[in-house]
Amino acid sequence: MDAHKYLRRLFLAAPLAFTIPGAALAQQEPCIGNSAAITGPAAFGGQAIKMGAEIAIEEINAKGGVLGKPLRFVQYDDAGAPPRGVDNTRRIALADKCVVILGGYHSTVSVAQVEPVHAIGIPFVGVLAANTQAIENGRSPNYMFRVSAKDKWVARFLVEQASKVSKTGKIAFFYENTGWGNGAVPDVKAAIAKAGKELVATETFNWNDQDMTPQAIRARDAGADVALFWALDREGNQLVRSMDKVGYKPTVIGAWGIAGNLGELAGPLANGVEVVQTYSFMGELDPRGQALWQKIQAKYGLKDPSQIKMGSGIANAYDAIHIVAQAIEKAGAYDWKKVREALYQVKYDGLVAKYDPAFDAADPERQDAILPSYYKLTVWSDGKLLPIAQTPYGKTN
Amino acid sequence: MTTALQYTLSGLAIGGIYALVALGFHVMWSAAKAVNFAHGDTLMIGAVLAVMGVDAGLPLPLACLLAILAGALFGVALERFAVRPFIGANASIGWMLTTIAVGIMAESLATMQFGGFSRPLPSPGVAGAVSILGAGVYPQELVIPAVAVLAMVGLHLMQRRTLVGRAMQAVAHNRQAAALMGIDVDRIVMLSFGLAALFGAGAGVLVAPVIQASANMGVLLGLKGFAVAIIGGITSGPGVVVAGLAFGVMEKFVEGYVSTSAREIVGFSAMILILLAFPQGLFGRREIFKV
Repeated sequence: MDAHKYLRRLFLAAPLAFTIPGAALAQQEPCIGNSAAITGPAAFGGQAIKMGAEIAIEEINAKGGVLGKPLRFVQYDDAGAPPRGVDNTRRIALADKCVVILGGYHSTVSVAQVEPVHAIGIPFVGVLAANTQAIENGRSPNYMFRVSAKDKWVARFLVEQASKVSKTGKIAFFYENTGWGNGAVPDVKAAIAKAGKELVATETFNWNDQDMTPQAIRARDAGADVALFWALDREGNQLVRSMDKVGYKPTVIGAWGIAGNLGELAGPLANGVEVVQTYSFMGELDPRGQALWQKIQAKYGLKDPSQIKMGSGIANAYDAIHIVAQAIEKAGAYDWKKVREALYQVKYDGLVAKYDPAFDAADPERQDAILPSYYKLTVWSDGKLLPIAQTPYGKTN
Repeated sequence: MTTALQYTLSGLAIGGIYALVALGFHVMWSAAKAVNFAHGDTLMIGAVLAVMGVDAGLPLPLACLLAILAGALFGVALERFAVRPFIGANASIGWMLTTIAVGIMAESLATMQFGGFSRPLPSPGVAGAVSILGAGVYPQELVIPAVAVLAMVGLHLMQRRTLVGRAMQAVAHNRQAAALMGIDVDRIVMLSFGLAALFGAGAGVLVAPVIQASANMGVLLGLKGFAVAIIGGITSGPGVVVAGLAFGVMEKFVEGYVSTSAREIVGFSAMILILLAFPQGLFGRREIFKV
């Protein structure tokens, strides 16, 4: 057979590799996989997940692992690109034969993973990306779980905060023109309508935009005294600077895209900007948080908690791994289907929340483990993102 | 009125960056009939190295100067290794791919060394906004278009008054004839790539305090700068600067009075229409290739 013909047959045969149903493959192994951005602008997200997951796995293995075998963690880079996330999903499930796959930082990737996750039938536990539809995807049985914030609940939480501080009842909403930003629009609109407040400006922008004075002027002239941000640090910085230029000083409350280095970028302009998170290593920690921070310090050579970008990602991944390990024990096997069912039975007193139970099979909204009552409001204060109760900003609320 | 002034000032600041980038494209094209598609990354190199210099404890002016010089060196090296070997035959386009490839490599390297975050470059020009008839703007933003215009005037004088400038003109006009007149064509082309990179890295240092330095900051600015160079007429220095400033202002007005999401649609539609009406760009000369 000549080389040309051989190559062509190889190409034709390649798709067959993916059509073999998951059940026909060999036994799964005590391994947890993760596809996240470990390069590119959101590399800190993948790093946070790795830290939380590795430390949790070390703790579990120190106590003998799960079902008598040590757990393993594998992480692949998707750089925020959905096709690579889909590839990694297949690789983690079919080549590494992991029991569970953890989600990454980018919502667009998580949404793309819904399809392969269900085609294969491997449980997925998101630990950062907050897009509502990625988990509430209408599938039954649903293999997508999450131990992280959910935009729908974040929107309600932020609007509640906005309602408390707004004197005029007029709110402006700034969101990035991406899957994450656009996905939050209906959530925010619904939450504001429900709260009986008025959304007077809905403004969007693109990544890398250098100036947002037109948007700031429109929100200012519409009379909004609170601005909700669905932005990342870089664009959040341009927003507060543009607001400063046009003499507009609303209270800013944001989803956690501006929890990275906004304080460094915007300097004093970031002071008072509030951010919702699921966990923060800043300020005073409880003994459990303190113990985890010491392990992070020792293992990854960090000196100060302010070096942690996206502490929520570490804590979410840490809790998620412990929940998954318990589910495997309850299932009594490294089996995708059994572990999925066992996830609904796990009760765990975690770092971020008291999971009682972690997930609820009867309620499609409860594929999410962290309830909004556990969300934490933090505030930028002289370059540091602190729990709001430990700052002067907490007292005015 | 204040709003219109605000859009004009903000637009001039961004237009000034486009103009500086476009001026670099003009210099390269004039000498070599090729450009460096990694020119946006030259801007990124200037900005990122300046921030890294400050991190390393250098005083701000020295860090900026070194960053600009390093950017210029990048331009020279890129011409030598990624453009010159691929420009031999008439109408060869290998340099397009090689320069794009170098740009992608530079961006990846910067991400590895610098991290994924945007970082601020301190500057007294962004300490506080100044108010001009009610419109707010950072002093740094006013400096950018001023530098673009100064660079254009300086370049014009150089092309007319100095030996090197005249040699550049000669090479642009006809390589073979220039070589026969004793001009070292390779050196002139190398010089113009270095000069263009100097403009690019300078723009990076100027703009970093306003838009922050990051590994991927150069991509869109490079593309917009190239678009502006084509609209203005890449053979005309003043043309590309005027087009750059006008394009920046137009973008702001579209954002202000239509919508932010319409910006790229209106901007690039305008570009296509202008090219239909003026195939050489607004201020460009017709170029005749003799085969």
